Amino acid sequence: MTTMNSSEIKKLLISSLNTDGDTTELSARLEREGISYDFSEDFTDKVLNKIYETKVKVSREVDFVKSLNIAFYRIALTGVAAIVVLLISIFLMEGSLSFNSFLGLSDSYDETIVSLLTGN
Amino acid sequence: MIKESYSAVEENELVRAALGGDKQAFGEIVTRYRKMVARTVKSMLGDSVFAEDIGQEVFIKLYYSLPEFRGEAKLSTYIQRIAVNLTLNEIKRRKRFFSMFSQKGNNEMYEFEVADQDTQEQREATEIVNKALKEMDPKFSIIITMRMLQGYSTKETAEILDLPIGTVLSRLSRAQDQLKKILEKL
Repeated sequence: MTTMNSSEIKKLLISSLNTDGDTTELSARLEREGISYDFSEDFTDKVLNKIYETKVKVSREVDFVKSLNIAFYRIALTGVAAIVVLLISIFLMEGSLSFNSFLGLSDSYDETIVSLLTGN
Repeated sequence: MIKESYSAVEENELVRAALGGDKQAFGEIVTRYRKMVARTVKSMLGDSVFAEDIGQEVFIKLYYSLPEFRGEAKLSTYIQRIAVNLTLNEIKRRKRFFSMFSQKGNNEMYEFEVADQDTQEQREATEIVNKALKEMDPKFSIIITMRMLQGYSTKETAEILDLPIGTVLSRLSRAQDQLKKILEKL
């Protein structure tokens, strides 16, 4: 097959532009003349790697978030249990759940605190 | 069952298999349409690493939008639409970048590394087409790419570019005039 030189290619393009009809033959002819485009040889592999590696990465991230959620729930439940135990023990020791009993001040009155602080 | 080769498998079946997570089936789709995408992307952006990146992006986008593909249009038309949109977006992005950061002309936006062709004549032929297309307004050069390089009919071009046929015809006529002038100058 003899390839066309640049001026022949130009002539072909210009003459083909005069028609609004079927250009399938023109595109095929241009390809035969070497006007063809393609990506690098490993293009398909690169695309597949990008897609499927990203999927693996995303699923790993999802797994991590899931385990983080489970850990958070366990820590939160342990915390709630500890608070309940604390409340029960305060109630048993102080006999009430007032603010003073939380602060351990259930036995002292305001006057006692004032006299303790002022020394009178 | 793992299929040895998908080369003879119908398009719809390939899409179904790819949707089911079959890597090999999607690989076959990429192999079938890579040249078509390359013609659109490289003729508009030049033969560069960036064009290769856009080409990859086209197929990655296709992969994630496959669940939305209902098979009303041909798969090739669907892929071509993605390729055209991403290419035109890239051209806009480059124009913005170059207008902000560079005093150089439009020609600097494109990197042509015409290579891998067998003969000097073939390289020259590709260069002529690339140079002519890059001198044109993208809205005209995309029409020329679709009609001349891809061989689509006016109706198919309108469908891919999501334009009325009348608009495609008027742009085609103006594109032809532009290209003729440019080719005569080259």
